[in-house]
Amino acid sequence: MSSPAKKPADRVPWIWHGVYALVILAIGASLYFASKRIDYSWHWERLPEYVISTEGEEIRASFDGFVEISEDGKTLTMTEMKGAGIETFSGFSQVLVGQGDLVFQNDVLARKPGMRPGPLLIGLWLTLKISAISLVFALPLGLIVGLGRVARNPAARNLAATYVEIIRGTPLLVQIFIFYFFIGTVLQLSAFTAGVAALSVFTGAYVAEIVRAGIEGVARGQMEAARSLGMSYPQSMRYVILPQALRKTLPPLTGQFINLIKDSSLVSVMALTDLTKAGREVVSSTFSPFEVWFSVAILYLLLTGSLSLVVRRLEKRLAHD
Amino acid sequence: MTDRNPKLLIEASGVSKQFANGTQALKNISLTVERGEVLCIIGPSGSGKSTLLRTLNALEEISEGDIQVNGHSVHSSKADLNRLRTQVGMVFQQFNLFPHMTALENVMLAPLKVLKQSESEVRARAEQLLAKVGLADKAQSHPAQLSGGQQQRVAIARALAMQPSIMLFDEPTSALDPEMVGEVLEVMKALAQEGMTMCVVTHEMGFARAVAHRVLFMDHGEIVYQDAPVAFFDAPRNERLRNFLGQILKS
Repeated sequence: MSSPAKKPADRVPWIWHGVYALVILAIGASLYFASKRIDYSWHWERLPEYVISTEGEEIRASFDGFVEISEDGKTLTMTEMKGAGIETFSGFSQVLVGQGDLVFQNDVLARKPGMRPGPLLIGLWLTLKISAISLVFALPLGLIVGLGRVARNPAARNLAATYVEIIRGTPLLVQIFIFYFFIGTVLQLSAFTAGVAALSVFTGAYVAEIVRAGIEGVARGQMEAARSLGMSYPQSMRYVILPQALRKTLPPLTGQFINLIKDSSLVSVMALTDLTKAGREVVSSTFSPFEVWFSVAILYLLLTGSLSLVVRRLEKRLAHD
Repeated sequence: MTDRNPKLLIEASGVSKQFANGTQALKNISLTVERGEVLCIIGPSGSGKSTLLRTLNALEEISEGDIQVNGHSVHSSKADLNRLRTQVGMVFQQFNLFPHMTALENVMLAPLKVLKQSESEVRARAEQLLAKVGLADKAQSHPAQLSGGQQQRVAIARALAMQPSIMLFDEPTSALDPEMVGEVLEVMKALAQEGMTMCVVTHEMGFARAVAHRVLFMDHGEIVYQDAPVAFFDAPRNERLRNFLGQILKS
C-alpha cells in the first residue's frame, strides 16, 4: 500500500493537545477544591491495607485443645482436649495466645509474616473469575442463538428471537433475582453458579445480536459462491461466512465483554463478594467511602482497560492478514 | 430415464418462475444443452437470463417445470443439491472470492471439504489450475491484492477445481474494467476449446460469435430466438432480436 499524502489530521497543531491537558487539569483541580470544601477527612493511607494486606497469614487451631509454647518461643504445640491429636507450628512472627490457654477450633493462634491479598483484591479476583467463566458460556450460546436468528427454519428463528427479546426486555438485576431465588432454588444452584448462569444468559442475547449483524454484513454472494461449489449450509457457514463475520464483530464483541465485567457488579446482591461487594464491606470497616469507591472504580478500569488493549492488538494482527 | 438422450447434460422443460411480488421472471422455458456444447445467452437486462442460469444449479427456485442435470431432477425435493452442485461449476459477475483466504486456498477449499480429497492431491491440482489461468505467481495473494480480471480468473479456477461436467458463467466480464475483459475471455475460450460444456450469460457479442455453438436470445422471461452464431448475428430472423442487436451496435 502506498501511503497517501499526510492527512490534515496528522498535522493538527500541538495546541490542541495543550487544550486537552488543560481541560483535564481544570476538572481535576475543581474536583480537588470541591473535596476540600466539604467536611470530610481523607484517609487514603487506610486503603492499601485492603488491597494488599501485610498482616500476614493467620495460623488457626484445627481442633479444641491446650496451647504449649516452647521456651525459645519459636514453636507452638497444640494438644487435643478430647483426643490424642497433637499439632506443632513454627515459623510465625507473632503469638496471639498464652502458655496453657484453652483454645477452640478456628481460633487464631499466631501470625506468619508476609503479604496476602486484601478484600478488594479478592473481590477483584471473583469479578474476574465470574466474568471470564460467564464469557466462556456466553460466546457459544450467543453464536448458536445468532445462527438461529438467521436460520431458515421457523422454529429455530422464532425460539432465538423470543430468547433475545425476553432477555433484552428485562433488567439484568431482575434476571439475577430470578436466577438466584427461583431457578437457583429449583435446580439447587450455588450463588456463584446462579450468577454465572444469569450473566451468561444475559450476555448471550447481546452476543447473538452481534453475531447476527456480523453474518448479515457478509455479502450475499459469499453464501451463494460457497453453496454453488457443493458445500452444505453448515460448511459454508463454518469456512466462509463465520470467519468473515467474526472478524467484523470483534470490536462490538469487545464492548459487550467490557459490559459483562461491569454488569458483573450486580451479582453483589446475591451473597457473592465481588469487587463491588468487597468495596461496600471495606467502606463499613474504614468509614472512607470516597476513597474506597474511587479505588474500586480504578480497579474496574484496570480490568476493562487491559481487555481493550489485548483486543486492539488482536485486531491489528488480524488486519495484517 | 431410459429414453434419455445420453448426450444431453441439461434438459429443462416448461420452466416458469414467479417472484413473490407477482413478476413473471421465466415463462415456460424449455432448453437443452449437449455435452461439449457452448451456449451463450444474451438479452436486455431484466430479461431473465441470469435467473434462468441460476435455476440450473438451484440457486434460484422455480415455480413450475422440471430441470434435469446429468439425469437428476434439480428441483425435486429429493434432490441432493450439494452433490449435484459439485457437477456444476458457477462463475459470478461479482467474482465472490472468499476474501479471508489466499487465491490458492480459495481454489482448494471445496475439493478438500466437499470431495474430501487428500491435501497433496488438491494442492497439486489447484496449483495446476492457477497456472492454467495464468496466475501461478499469485497463489499466495489475497483477493483484495488482485485486479478484477485476476480475481475472476481465480474464480474460474476455483469452479474448475471441483472437476465439474458443466460450467455456468453469469455475466463474467460485466463488472470488469474494459482492459481486463480480454484476459478473462481468453481463459474461457481456452476452456471451450478443451471441450468443456458451458452456459454463458454475456454481453460480449464478439465472444459469443467466436466461441458459442449456439446463441440464445431472451426477452421478458422467454426464449425468443436461438440459432448458430453466424445466422444469429448476421441474419437474425426475428424482429425483437434485430432491434436489440441494432441498439448494441449503435452504442
